[in-house]
Amino acid sequence: MRSRSWLASLAAVLALAPSAVWASPAAAGPGGDPLVITVEPARQSAVIGDRVTIRAQVTNRAATPTDPLIAHLNVASLTGTYVDLEDWTAGPTQQVDPIGAGASANLSWDIQAVNTGSFDVYVVLLPNGAGSAGAGPLVTGAPSHLTVAGRRTLNAGGSLPIVIAMPLLLGALALAVRLRRRRS
Amino acid sequence: MAVAGQECRDLWLSGRGPLLLFAFSLLLSAFTYLAATNQAINFLEQREAVNLTLQIAVAVGVLVTLLVSADGISGERERGTLEGLLLTPVSRRVLVLGKLAAALTVWFATFVVSVPYIWVLGRGVSVVGQALLLSLVIGTVLAVGLAALGLLVSGLSASNKVSIAVSFFILLALFAPTQLPGGLPKGWFGDVLGRLNPVGAGLHYPTAILVNGHDWTQDLNYLIAPGVLVVLAIVPLTLLSDRIVQLEPGSVR
Repeated sequence: MRSRSWLASLAAVLALAPSAVWASPAAAGPGGDPLVITVEPARQSAVIGDRVTIRAQVTNRAATPTDPLIAHLNVASLTGTYVDLEDWTAGPTQQVDPIGAGASANLSWDIQAVNTGSFDVYVVLLPNGAGSAGAGPLVTGAPSHLTVAGRRTLNAGGSLPIVIAMPLLLGALALAVRLRRRRS
Repeated sequence: MAVAGQECRDLWLSGRGPLLLFAFSLLLSAFTYLAATNQAINFLEQREAVNLTLQIAVAVGVLVTLLVSADGISGERERGTLEGLLLTPVSRRVLVLGKLAAALTVWFATFVVSVPYIWVLGRGVSVVGQALLLSLVIGTVLAVGLAALGLLVSGLSASNKVSIAVSFFILLALFAPTQLPGGLPKGWFGDVLGRLNPVGAGLHYPTAILVNGHDWTQDLNYLIAPGVLVVLAIVPLTLLSDRIVQLEPGSVR
């Protein structure tokens, strides 16, 4: 009975271990440094076309400074919408200078919600030192959940009178000036 | 004042000014209709649509102003009308300032034409007044600087074609960086370049206020470059006016 419960505990630990490691933000910092990414806000809503700011704080909990890092913001759709990151932000990638022991670096991205749906916006840290570039694993933080509602903002019909009337008016004016000049 | 009045009559009663305005309104109409109907860009938040229209109106308005001023002295020379103008009993400084004032009427006319377009896109949100004020202030500063530059180029150019080509190239060179995909390169160099370019910096200011919701004072340093352009163009224009308003082209000695 006792050995059975021990086996059950072992099985539970083994089952949970990979997810615990995966979820630990400090598990895979560049050069073995434990880095933690905190993203704010955790949850927000927007209307299509709105600009939202995503802030991230990267904390180095190690006793040694980190290598230079690359912080990359990504947007993943949770509703199957195709996401073209270039449309959301022109600068998803930011260089992060080495972070001292126990210090933090603050980053922010202004992104524009160009699709409707439910999205997770997350930040990934990549090592960019002379020896650490290209090495993994990468560090990521909890995502910021973004819900984007649709809206039709412009009224084509409402603009039509101005769009037609202005050139007609100015064309008539230009013609009248020409005719007047020709007569005189 | 009399010179400016005469120049304005030449510009507007000859039919050149009204024709330019007609072309300007066609462009704004096409752009406004596109902004309001195109499904691909219909997601644009209203403030952004207003800002885009404002940018087009200011950019094209100052372009037209620059081209009119670039024709100011070299064009008169080629048409053989400069001699008559030089007989006017006023100083050459007054002549160039009169031409500058006449060229600026083109900018103010394009601004008036842009008002209904900005209104139709921005009604319902409280940015129309802000957008119009920004357009008037930024556009006027840019128009004064570029019109003075155009007159300077016109006075120094060997022919009207050269004057217009050089002026057009200058504006294109100043405007092109604002159209780079993704904007200027990030970092201090891109930032400095963006602030040094009077057209880019001037057009950035309304975007910061209308789209990004910044305070009016937050990005004031972006207006330094347009202000410097005004000084750098007006001062030599007035100082060199005696030399550049000559019957012989490019006669600065």
